[in-house]
Amino acid sequence: MTGRAWFPVLLGVCLAVALTFLTLPVVAIFVDSSPGELISSLGEEGALDALWLSLRCTAASIAIILLVGTPAAYLLATRSFRGKALVVTLIELPLVLPPAVAGIALLAAVGPEGILGGAIDAAGIQLSFATAGVVVALTFVSSPFYVRQAMAAFAAVDRSLLDASRTLGASEARGFLRVMIPVAVPGLAAGTALALGRALGEFGATLMFAGSFQGITQTVPLAIYDRFSTDFDAALALSAVLVAVSAAILLAVKLVRGGEALGVAPR
Amino acid sequence: MVVGVLLACAAMTAGCGDGDDSGGDSSDSPTRLVVSAASSMTKALEKCAPEFGDAENADVKLSFAGSDELAAQIRQGAPVDVYAAANTRLPDELNADGSLEKPVEFATNELVLAVPEQSEIDSIDDLTKEGTTVVIGSESVPIGAYTRETLAKLPPAQEEAILRNVRSNEPDVNGIVGKLTQGAADAGFVYVTDVNATNGELRAIELPSDLEPQVTYGAGVVTKAKQPDLAQQFVDGLTHGDCADALGAAGFGPAP
Amino acid sequence: MLRVEARHQLGDLVLDVELVVEHGSCLALAGPSGAGKTSLLRIAAGLLRPEQGHVAANGETWLDTHRGIDVPAEQRRCGYVFQHYALFPHLTAWQNVAYALHGLPRSERRARAGELLERFGLAARADARPHTLSGGERQRVAVARALARSPEVLLLDEPLSALDARTRAAAARELGEVLRESAAPTLLVTHDFAEAAQLGDRVGIIDQGRVVQEGTPTELAAAPRSAFVADFTGAVVLTGLARPGPAGVTYVDLDGGGNVTSTDAAHGIVAVSVYPWEIVIEPAGEEAHGSADNRLPVEVLSVTTVGSRVRVGLGGVQPLVAEVTRASAERLRLEPGVRVIATWKAAATRLVGL
Repeated sequence: MTGRAWFPVLLGVCLAVALTFLTLPVVAIFVDSSPGELISSLGEEGALDALWLSLRCTAASIAIILLVGTPAAYLLATRSFRGKALVVTLIELPLVLPPAVAGIALLAAVGPEGILGGAIDAAGIQLSFATAGVVVALTFVSSPFYVRQAMAAFAAVDRSLLDASRTLGASEARGFLRVMIPVAVPGLAAGTALALGRALGEFGATLMFAGSFQGITQTVPLAIYDRFSTDFDAALALSAVLVAVSAAILLAVKLVRGGEALGVAPR
Repeated sequence: MVVGVLLACAAMTAGCGDGDDSGGDSSDSPTRLVVSAASSMTKALEKCAPEFGDAENADVKLSFAGSDELAAQIRQGAPVDVYAAANTRLPDELNADGSLEKPVEFATNELVLAVPEQSEIDSIDDLTKEGTTVVIGSESVPIGAYTRETLAKLPPAQEEAILRNVRSNEPDVNGIVGKLTQGAADAGFVYVTDVNATNGELRAIELPSDLEPQVTYGAGVVTKAKQPDLAQQFVDGLTHGDCADALGAAGFGPAP
Repeated sequence: MLRVEARHQLGDLVLDVELVVEHGSCLALAGPSGAGKTSLLRIAAGLLRPEQGHVAANGETWLDTHRGIDVPAEQRRCGYVFQHYALFPHLTAWQNVAYALHGLPRSERRARAGELLERFGLAARADARPHTLSGGERQRVAVARALARSPEVLLLDEPLSALDARTRAAAARELGEVLRESAAPTLLVTHDFAEAAQLGDRVGIIDQGRVVQEGTPTELAAAPRSAFVADFTGAVVLTGLARPGPAGVTYVDLDGGGNVTSTDAAHGIVAVSVYPWEIVIEPAGEEAHGSADNRLPVEVLSVTTVGSRVRVGLGGVQPLVAEVTRASAERLRLEPGVRVIATWKAAATRLVGL
């Protein structure tokens, strides 16, 4: 090999290794068992329960995150106040909590023996080991993913656009809805995708806080774990579904990002 | 567009409730019954629970895990109606702190040494050989407790040698069975019913009768159960009913 | 009528301004960057609250820090044109223009926006998004948008600075027409005196947060009150020591050598200013002809053609710039290195005490 040529070859080899390492396990999910077996395992009641539960709980969780997180992120991106750095760190905390610890934390906070346990019980609500609890766990671990991205997206919007909106007679609320959000959409979409992916794959906190009760709290990741020692094909089938859904989410985000040309105002 | 997506999400959650409702008020919709049972009963209960459900117009939701984990959940206030464990100690403990009504003994089981079908291992002595990988249950789960109880009855040198070969402490019997069927370990201690459930993939090696522990299963109605009467019926069914038959067919022994 | 008074700490600078813009007229504030010009506009618009201030437009008080009145920006009827236009990238041209008209039904908004775009010659681009428009087109959309709801006051932040030189001339003419037609008092800020002179009925020179001189463009150029104003309005500025001479004339010994005469009265350290177009270049070595009183030997450093004029950079004890016709430049065979004489009248020489 000539003196110069080794470097590009090395780059190519590294890429090939990385690509193989990352794609082989994913491909193996689809190839290890026949499509027929995979599809029939999916039809089994427990699997359907898990899929439907994951879908509902993730949707609810994302809805809450978007409704509450978007205005919160906007506030953090556009205002400064004393203690702001602390607030931001607190919001990002779940990011660094191991999922199992998050589960314990939730039990300690809103479990029946937890700090707010009495009040929640008195209100007749069951969170731990219940479907609502799955939503709580998913929301807890996924919201920082969205809020962080949303904050960055809002902060990147040219401030003069908001000023312009105000000089044109729109209240701050109107400006938020008609200017800030549309312009920040690519960043918000990316944040939503991250939160969505995290929520779909959430395992540890859900297991600890909500348990693994089929049809009630056994989401797809929990169902995969449940089946993996006893019915590997069923575990494969559910995994294949999760892979397909995650890929679809990634694709959707790429498409929305295509609108990036309109994203940030010209300097 | 965004508003539409949000509304769709909200609709999906609202439309299907959060699954907490304890069955319908109308007598048409089945009543939900939540049963937490030790993993070793998986195949048997999965067969008989729907039958029970049809007979009593109930929707039985089964949850299987190590008996210790299930007990912890009940202590944490998990909305469970029936608790069935692989020992009597855990139900008694729950009864003592008021989480469980007086439990009954409903079945017995046998601890065996399980090996892959083709294995050359044929006695507990073979486990002392260097390089043999052994899988047992963790300390707090019944299967693990029984195993340690058994090993403690061996001469100390033998016990030590076997424990040195333990590669994993699994949270329940499914984990042990899984490791054996996937070829990740040479031998493990499970119940004879678990070996039966593998349909020939694993072979059971009986333990000498002086080593064999007394394995008794206990079950009871959770005090905070939403369906205490239905729960009691289910527990009764474990001793004489469809589930008792299913347990027997799986290899469980009758109540002592 | 627009009245703006403000006192506000801006970093190291203290903004201290009081100005009045009459109905139908345009006051152009010209000054170097960092002088506080944009902040003043933001105060008028309600986007910045000064420590002390008073803003009133057409009889309505918008801000009175003393009495605790602060009408929010969205309720002041200002038309604001931002330096980089701040067009909403996700809306089309007509949607941008119609943004302020949110009370009206869609068809009316479209119609009104269409009218304005038509006036600016952009009817064909009504459905285009800002990123597909040229710089000049975007500037016109920004102005149209500011005018959409017939504002009480117009505020323009460097309206031409983002345009390239070629587009700027046409845009300046057009903007001048729009401002003349508009009855709203207009406050415009820029760093370019020529732009201020072209667009403003009156010009204020702002430096370090204060307005140092205000008047018509001609007044400012003819009688700059300080070296800064003279320099800013484009004069050549030399420094020297002045002493009175006979018959009302003042002699100035220039720093570094040479001297000039002026009809202004002054003594002590002075700044001497003269406008480039008042300097006549004569070939070196010839006898003085013409009635110019001041003569300085210089060397040509640079020759730049700007339109039909030629700007000649001259180096002597102090640098000078002269503006001559193309014909003169050719006749004199001006090119770098040539030695010439820079001459100008004593009457065109302004003196300002330093």
